[in-house]
Amino acid sequence: MENKKDSKNIEINKRMKELVIARIDAQVPSNLRLAIGSYGGMSKEEMIEHVKKGDEIGSQIVKRHMLFLRSLASGEFTRALASAE
Amino acid sequence: MRRGLILTLPKYDDVTEYLSAFSIIIEKISKEKGIFCKLLKGESANKEEFEKVINNLDCKMVVFNGHGSENTIAGNGGNILIKLGENEDLLKNRIVYARSCEAASNLGEKCVNNSEGCFIGYNLPFEFYFDPEWVGNPIKDNTARLFLESSNLAPISIIKGNNSNEAHERSKNQMLKNIRYLLSFLK
Repeated sequence: MENKKDSKNIEINKRMKELVIARIDAQVPSNLRLAIGSYGGMSKEEMIEHVKKGDEIGSQIVKRHMLFLRSLASGEFTRALASAE
Repeated sequence: MRRGLILTLPKYDDVTEYLSAFSIIIEKISKEKGIFCKLLKGESANKEEFEKVINNLDCKMVVFNGHGSENTIAGNGGNILIKLGENEDLLKNRIVYARSCEAASNLGEKCVNNSEGCFIGYNLPFEFYFDPEWVGNPIKDNTARLFLESSNLAPISIIKGNNSNEAHERSKNQMLKNIRYLLSFLK
């Protein structure tokens, strides 16, 4: 569904950051932590901080959200979900 | 090449503690199936030990847990076990599952070029959510379970006799079922 080439092709802009921050704020439970790569676990607030800063982790987070939203918009995600047996 | 499995279990941060805790089932199932399983736990998951073990035991299957990159797979303390251009030939003709970030995107591809082996891994960083309440006992974390048990299905399916493509599909399918399960709470 997602690949590295797609991820590299995403140019992050201000609106994307705002959208991702809103998604994290609305969807991520405060008690959970995200383990991503070698960065260890980070809280919802730390995720938002990384996205705001636009550092490497923040950029990874934005790209993952955008890849997901694209697959949702194209119907790819829904098809995959419906095909799961 | 011997019918058997080498399983790396680094344990030096929250992420590797979780990966290792959820990998114990892989050892259990390989034992049930009568498949030899060599564990490289904690500090044993270092390059010197890994190279010694893989050269001596010559197991057909290798399961890595740990951090990684496009060109590397790490063991304990970030110690690099496999590096492209250095020792990736050790994985040639083997069945490899790497629960390591991005290792499939370049290293994995190079490992299976002109080889009878396969490499199942991730093109992007491996991510999962966990509940810090359970850091001392990861196996009880039902949030992390949703991510790690479905990824476990890749090596477990191979141990149970499925081919690598089936194993990969089963793992993805289970993740999609987990997502569907979570979405059912929104109704």
